[in-house]
Amino acid sequence: MVHLSSHLLKKYHNGYVVIRLALAGHKQANRPFYRIVAAHNKRSRDGKYIEQLGSFDPLPNIYNEKLVGFNFDRIKYWIGCGAHLTKPVAKLLGLSGFFPLHPMTVTEAERRRAQAKLAETAAGTEDPQQEEQKQADV
Amino acid sequence: MFQVIGGRSVQAARLLAPRSAVLVEAVRGRKSRSDPVAKSKEGRIKVPVSVDPVEMVVLKERYSEYKLIMRALRMEFKEGVLRKKYEEEMGSQAELRARQEEEEHRALMDWNNQENLRILKARIIRIQQEEEEAERKKMEAAIQREQEQQEFIRQKEEEILKLQEEAKNFVTLENLDQRIEEALDNPKNYNFAIDKEGKVVKRTVLQ
Repeated sequence: MVHLSSHLLKKYHNGYVVIRLALAGHKQANRPFYRIVAAHNKRSRDGKYIEQLGSFDPLPNIYNEKLVGFNFDRIKYWIGCGAHLTKPVAKLLGLSGFFPLHPMTVTEAERRRAQAKLAETAAGTEDPQQEEQKQADV
Repeated sequence: MFQVIGGRSVQAARLLAPRSAVLVEAVRGRKSRSDPVAKSKEGRIKVPVSVDPVEMVVLKERYSEYKLIMRALRMEFKEGVLRKKYEEEMGSQAELRARQEEEEHRALMDWNNQENLRILKARIIRIQQEEEEAERKKMEAAIQREQEQQEFIRQKEEEILKLQEEAKNFVTLENLDQRIEEALDNPKNYNFAIDKEGKVVKRTVLQ
């Protein structure tokens, strides 16, 4: 096996640094927990990373909150060194306010709102119809 | 699709009793290329999600804005990083720190040299003492050897004298007859009796 140091690794693989979510806690099934991590692109998802920049708990807690933590100082440093971001990390950062809101967040929200409204109007049209039928029956 | 695995998940996979020779793990999308289509999905034609043009235009606009802002932010952060590096190397603190470090280094080197000199002196003294010791021991050994040699020679001379003395009593070819005559003439009697009190009686029956 050839084990290269970081500089040679970068040159050989032409890889770059990404800030992404890595799954932690293999010992517990059905309880995911993500670490926000700066790692080389070619490394496996849960493999060796350069630095941990935060964490994300995707399951809501008792107050119905999903907790996220960021180390903004180091994130700034890594972005300044040319790190890429993955979509979920970009979305989270957008929601946190550090970055602008990701367009897909907005689009998803709009879609959901449209769905909700459709469902509401459908329920609304059904209710008056049911009321009319009941009145007709009565 | 299939992933060859080992380690912890091997135990779990063994329970599934796979028919393949290699232990494989159940991964999402677990059918391989040669597996037939499932019955429930036989006539299925996968159709991609239709694109809403209005939404697409809006989305493209949003993306372009987003990318613009992201690019600007990236450049800002890069500038920040470079500025920090510059300050680190050439800022106001850097000179002070460099000078302090140099002074510290010089002081430490001086102290080191002093220590070296001191230890050198101690070492020289020690070596001298050891040399003197060695000299003394050598002298003593030489003297001892001399004495032993003298002793040896003296003892040998003594032995020679003793032998010379004894040689006078030797029996030679000339003395032979004389000695035989003498021996025959003087019979020596070694028998004696001794009492419990220690009284020796030499008068015995001569034969």
